Amino acid sequence: MSSFTERRPKGTILVKDKNCKQTVPNYKDVEFLRKFLSAHGQIVSRKRSGYCAQCQKQLKAAIKQARHVGLLPFVG
Amino acid sequence: MFLLDNQVVREDWKSAKNLVQEALNKHGAKVRTLRRWDERKLAYPIANRKRATFFLGYFDIGVDGLPALRRDLELSEKVIRYLIQSCDAVPETENELAAAEQSADFVVPAPPADDAPEPRREDERPSLEDSIEVPDLNDLEDMR
Repeated sequence: MSSFTERRPKGTILVKDKNCKQTVPNYKDVEFLRKFLSAHGQIVSRKRSGYCAQCQKQLKAAIKQARHVGLLPFVG
Repeated sequence: MFLLDNQVVREDWKSAKNLVQEALNKHGAKVRTLRRWDERKLAYPIANRKRATFFLGYFDIGVDGLPALRRDLELSEKVIRYLIQSCDAVPETENELAAAEQSADFVVPAPPADDAPEPRREDERPSLEDSIEVPDLNDLEDMR
């Protein structure tokens, strides 16, 4: 059976992958964040970024903050 | 982070900085550091501006003052955008950079015009158009 219907209980926090040694930049590191955008300005998936689930969330937040202040584009 | 209209910074950048400082002080914020971060071309136009000056500040503010501060910044025409987020501690480099800005010999370059192209950074790769050599048509005719 697919695990599609299995949802994480509300309020639980994802545990950071122990093997994840990546550093997530903040919204001011524009040149670094730009690497995680596709040609159309979309955020790349975990498969391509190589981040664990928690780091990918932080990356997503950083990119969205950078977009808000006009450092990164919404669309390419 | 506060994005200020370049027109305000062109007139006097210290008054632009004071504008942010006064807005923070008005709502009971204790400003730790406040400095000019950069002047950049925006990824998309904000308030019909293509460039803006970024100010980065660290401050303590209570929950009572924050909504009022946000409302003031929203209404301000000089602050075109802002981003307030919580932070555990002020980075060590911030104090040094803010202190360097307050020295007498610190000069802020005048912001360029809104349509001025972004200066190329040293670490940036040359564009593909620069690397392609276009042959001279006269030479091709000689070859024939």
